[in-house]
Amino acid sequence: MTTEELSSLKIDKSVDARGTACPGPLLAAKKAIGEIQGGQVMEILSADEGTRRDIPKWCTKKGYEYIRVIEDSGYFKLYMRKS
Amino acid sequence: MAKMTVALFSGSIDKLTGAGVVISGAAADDMDVEVFVLLMAARAFVKGNQDKIDGLSEYPELKDEFTKSLERLNVSTWIEFFEMSKELTNVKVYICSLAGKMWGGEKMEDFIDLVDDICGIGEYITSAQEADVHLFI
Repeated sequence: MTTEELSSLKIDKSVDARGTACPGPLLAAKKAIGEIQGGQVMEILSADEGTRRDIPKWCTKKGYEYIRVIEDSGYFKLYMRKS
Repeated sequence: MAKMTVALFSGSIDKLTGAGVVISGAAADDMDVEVFVLLMAARAFVKGNQDKIDGLSEYPELKDEFTKSLERLNVSTWIEFFEMSKELTNVKVYICSLAGKMWGGEKMEDFIDLVDDICGIGEYITSAQEADVHLFI
């Protein structure tokens, strides 16, 4: 998905986990996933490098669609869709 | 459902924190987790002892640095990790009956709320035999 396509994507849930280190962002994502429906998109903000690998692997294991990561100033924005 | 069995032997703050991180990772993965609290770790689960748990197993001389780093990184306490994990998935904490007695805990009311039951070593062995992931911490 291109950055332009991503910018037009409707974000149904945003989780700001920038204040926590690993495993905080993963736990925050796990908690939040229950609050969205299948087909909805969640954005996870994290300043922890480990999250870049954790979230895609977690999505694969859980059967969710990992969309992509965008690097911002000092943190990452990860996008996924619940199946 | 995949299952992880943890033999939690160490009662030092660094290893309890490490155990909490690992268990919470398993919880995020929806694994069933069974924690068997053995000898030295049981002290941390007896009511009234939580503030006494502050030693490090590794690099004990770096305790201040360890503590400050956890605060700076906003890392949860080991108890918070256990609590979060129990909220997320099926995490059971069992106290080895011998270990509990060593630190003054004989009945369920002697232990903090994280504890689900008191068990013997045979239950741990059975759990370990059935587990997909088995850790000794």
